[in-house]
Amino acid sequence: MEYLLVKFQESRGVIIDGASEGMTNEALELETGFHSVTLEPPPDFTPELHEFILRKTSVISPRVISFEKI
Amino acid sequence: MKKYRLNKYFFPALIAALFFLSSCAHYQKNLPLADIHQNEPYSFDAFNQPSDADETFVILAFSGGGTRAAAFSYGVLEEMKNTRLPGLNKTLLDEADIVSTVSGGSFTGAYYALFGPRIFDDFKEKFLYRNIQKELALALLNPANWFRLSSPYFSRIDLASELYDRTIFEAGAFKSLADRKKRPFLIINATNLYQGSRFEFTGAQFNYIGSDILSYPIARAVAASSAFPFLLSPITLVNYPYPDGYKMTDADKMALKDYWNNKSRYYNALNNTMYADKKGHPYLHLMDGGLADNIGLRAVNDLYLRGGIRKKINNGEIKRLLVIVVNAKNEPQESLDKNESPPGLATVALKTATVSMDNYSFETVESIKRMIADRIEAQMNLDGCQQKLDEHCKDGYKLPPLAGGKMKLYVVDISFDNLQDNDEKNFLKHLPTTFHLEKNEVERLISAGRLLFKNHPEFKAFMDEFK
Repeated sequence: MEYLLVKFQESRGVIIDGASEGMTNEALELETGFHSVTLEPPPDFTPELHEFILRKTSVISPRVISFEKI
Repeated sequence: MKKYRLNKYFFPALIAALFFLSSCAHYQKNLPLADIHQNEPYSFDAFNQPSDADETFVILAFSGGGTRAAAFSYGVLEEMKNTRLPGLNKTLLDEADIVSTVSGGSFTGAYYALFGPRIFDDFKEKFLYRNIQKELALALLNPANWFRLSSPYFSRIDLASELYDRTIFEAGAFKSLADRKKRPFLIINATNLYQGSRFEFTGAQFNYIGSDILSYPIARAVAASSAFPFLLSPITLVNYPYPDGYKMTDADKMALKDYWNNKSRYYNALNNTMYADKKGHPYLHLMDGGLADNIGLRAVNDLYLRGGIRKKINNGEIKRLLVIVVNAKNEPQESLDKNESPPGLATVALKTATVSMDNYSFETVESIKRMIADRIEAQMNLDGCQQKLDEHCKDGYKLPPLAGGKMKLYVVDISFDNLQDNDEKNFLKHLPTTFHLEKNEVERLISAGRLLFKNHPEFKAFMDEFK
């Protein structure tokens, strides 16, 4: 499995590949490969979406992506 | 008295008429989807509400193996029913969330999902003690069925599913399961002959073929799951055009980019999205689920890697995960290697089919164990790292927590090899794959299922947690 940390200034639901799954600021366990990630509403963050390949991570060295509040 | 003489053309005409009528005999078709949300009641998500009820998440996988597998898995269910969870007013069976089944195991799993605890009152008489093979043979010998079987659209498997529908599943359809609103969520597994890939009877899978799962008879799904190669014919499904508003899921879109990153994810999406080519694949022909996975664990594997179980873990909804694998793999006594002359065509055909069923079972069980071990290792690594940081860094830095926290995970794999008693082990391992066993054989299988479950070290560790 791979590990993803979605950083946001508050705790917010995460949408991975179109489905709600986990929260921001926690290491999420996911399958290797392409993923699209956005946050639950309200749409007060940027960018709207991250799309990336998740691979070669570990629980203590997860892939980190960030959303900024606008 | 006036005598009537039959016209010399009467009998030929009668036979011709019967053949004509028989050509109307047709298998029961699956129906098209009218609306993209129609299958939602028979989905993993629908069965897992409310989500806070899942601190203990229990998954059952029942293998193929005819009545041998059905009785062995029944024994495990019985032991689960008799296991009370300390501190909770529940039995372990009340906690069953998913049952994924193949072939013979599908009879037990589907019966429990459909009728609940009633299985302990009447399933032995309704299935385990019956000589289903004889009943199927009698149905084949019935002249009324000869005409139906002469139709290209009606075959032996359709007779079998009629028998199961009438005498076991009481005309239950998947809507009956959805209406019960009661776990476990049943996943009956078959194999699509075209790709050789797993085909599951769930709302999600039926969405891919533009078809309504709710109206589909459970008996036909079980028949497809147990359509043993050569002895029974495939079950056919229609691959319908999609209703308005149907879109490929984001997960499939992403997975289809993953050929070089993750072939398992890529091929899973490829197999599912293949059905979008309605002209190229207007029909599906399904056979025994054992051809793709004779344990029923690949469905669980997929849910754990990328489906509903993964979401529940990442949402922190599971504290204890218990996977129970009931594998009724046998080793029939054979004399193949005692003769210099090679075996005949029938033996080779049968052997070819069953060898492929058994070959990957061991690897499938090991794969789920490895995934569970990886999760435990990740939790330990994170804990260990944090401890070192706490010891050596005085700024109080905290690593990001792992979603789902410190889960407890257990895999209880039950097979005849676990038996200490060699005589009993050999006896059970030599039972054939058939839909007819003697009563005492059925009872010994049930007892073995109960004993092996009760004495499994992982089950004991799971129960210790409640103390």
